[in-house]
Amino acid sequence: MGKECVTIVINDIRNYKWFIITGLIAVLLTIPFWASNYTVSIFLLIFMYLALAQMWNLLAGYAGLVSLGQQMFIGLGGYTLAVLTELYRAPLWSSILIGGVISLIFALIISAPIFRMREAYFTIGTWLVAEALKIFFSNWGYVRYGQGFFITAAYQLTTTHMYYMAMVIGLGSVAVVYIILRSRLGLGLMAIRDNETAAESMGVEVFKAKLICFLIGAFVTSIAGSIFYLYQVFIQPYAAFGIDWTVAMVFIVIIGGIGTIEGPLAGVVIYVLLRQYLYNYAGISMLVLGLIAIVLIHVAPKGFIGTLQEKLGFEFLSPRRR
Amino acid sequence: MENVLIVENLTIAFGQLLAVNSLSIEVREGEILGIIGPNGSGKTTLLNGISGLYKPKSGSVIFKDIDITDFSPSRRCRLGIGRTYQVPRTFEKMTVYENVLVGGVYGASLSEKKARYKVYEILELTGLLHKKDLFAGSLALLDRKRLEVARALATNPQLLLLDEVAAGLTEAEVNEVLRIVKYIKESGVTIIWIEHILRTMMEAADRVLCIASGKKLICGNPKEVLAAEEVQEVYLGVEEG
Ligand SMILES: Nc1ncnc2c1ncn2[C@@H]1O[C@H](COP(=O)(O)OP(=O)(O)O)[C@@H](O)[C@H]1O
Ligand SMILES: [Mg+2]
Repeated sequence: MGKECVTIVINDIRNYKWFIITGLIAVLLTIPFWASNYTVSIFLLIFMYLALAQMWNLLAGYAGLVSLGQQMFIGLGGYTLAVLTELYRAPLWSSILIGGVISLIFALIISAPIFRMREAYFTIGTWLVAEALKIFFSNWGYVRYGQGFFITAAYQLTTTHMYYMAMVIGLGSVAVVYIILRSRLGLGLMAIRDNETAAESMGVEVFKAKLICFLIGAFVTSIAGSIFYLYQVFIQPYAAFGIDWTVAMVFIVIIGGIGTIEGPLAGVVIYVLLRQYLYNYAGISMLVLGLIAIVLIHVAPKGFIGTLQEKLGFEFLSPRRR
Repeated sequence: MENVLIVENLTIAFGQLLAVNSLSIEVREGEILGIIGPNGSGKTTLLNGISGLYKPKSGSVIFKDIDITDFSPSRRCRLGIGRTYQVPRTFEKMTVYENVLVGGVYGASLSEKKARYKVYEILELTGLLHKKDLFAGSLALLDRKRLEVARALATNPQLLLLDEVAAGLTEAEVNEVLRIVKYIKESGVTIIWIEHILRTMMEAADRVLCIASGKKLICGNPKEVLAAEEVQEVYLGVEEG
């Protein structure tokens, strides 16, 4: 009886999927008009971390690329924005976009050596590149060493502006992953996720698929990073190239459910809310987040959504083919 | 008849161990070449050398007059070499239909739309059609083996490498596999079939190659090979020892 009810509800949700999505987006669009500033800023953070987590999930959850160096693209995006607007008075939009392109080119350059490294070596390799950038930037006079920049061009933006920018990159990242997964590339990625060797021997060009994901990840992560620093107004190398960024992405994806589109959606809400509540306990907040992750990995290793999908056999944003 | 595949003095090493030791074979167009040999004799390793999973220490692999020794597994597949795995490596979180679709879209370079017909045909042939929307992870062994064959077929191979597709199955299931393999052969695909169960091989193979310790022992028509003294020796020696 109970199970039947669940099935009926699930079928309803499935039939009205696009209706529900449109409705949700409409509601999200109105939030700045009626919600408190605090609520708006929470949503803003959710959107920004959502973009970061979706990209990390694309890499780690599908392409088998466990990177601990995604902060390199956040730093590059943030710094390009800061340098172009502060030193050259360049327009905001083009600065953000150029940051994305620089990250993409940087990703392409480092991919040659770094893709030769396998598994744990790749993971450590990406982290080392990010650390090297951090040290380089804090010793580079042109970007004012470790002192950093105030991004004064951001003063003209209201929280509402910021909210919509974050919304575009957040929901945009979900759309990008969804479209990828429904495409030819996505079919190959799911095969790589499940068994890389078998995928390769069935004609999937594993290297090419991974590289495309790495580049897309670099671009979107960079844009999200720029938007974050537009919001924060102040950038310094130690934070911008810090591993905390990727730790957050890992946490969100693992607790939500790796290798699913919906996982990061659930994970990001949990993460941002938890962080807000733990804000006053700065010292132990990492500890609490870590504990939660460890407990969850033992109780439900597939994460929130992964476990739910297994129990109910339901995927909301399904990339399934028939 | 023309040779589809020529393996020349192939040697594949794991450290000191020469799992395949200067082995040469020729596979003729349209035939089923059976490969037998005791466990650990290098059958799977030879197949991995042909499909590109392992790089050889020396020797070469020539497919349709092209030297493919340095080609990636993915490229070899797109050229027309399909394979199955002894221990199934199906895509567990994808449906049966999607598993086969990967072969059609990537191995055979078809659009998803065009691959669809082919995939349905293959699912029908391999008896998986009614399970097409199940996750591969939920299948029993026989169905996994069927799926291995179905996926490989979808890549549109000219040469199909089968690694112990009948092992671990019941008598009836083995006959089912035999039917499928014969059908594939009829459609013009050349097949290399590794099998431990001799009877199955006898019924289908045109020629049989027996290897031991990575070396060719004897190659010829099935009856001859099975009757050969050296074959009896390695098999009985290992099996009953
Ligand atoms: N990846 C590997 N690493 C090390 N040794 C291996 C590997 N694969 C196979 N071998 C060894 O090579 C030999 C041949 O193995 P295999 O080709 O699997 O035999 P068969 O398929 O005939 O049973 C065995 O001794 C096995 O232990
Ligand atoms: Mg074997």
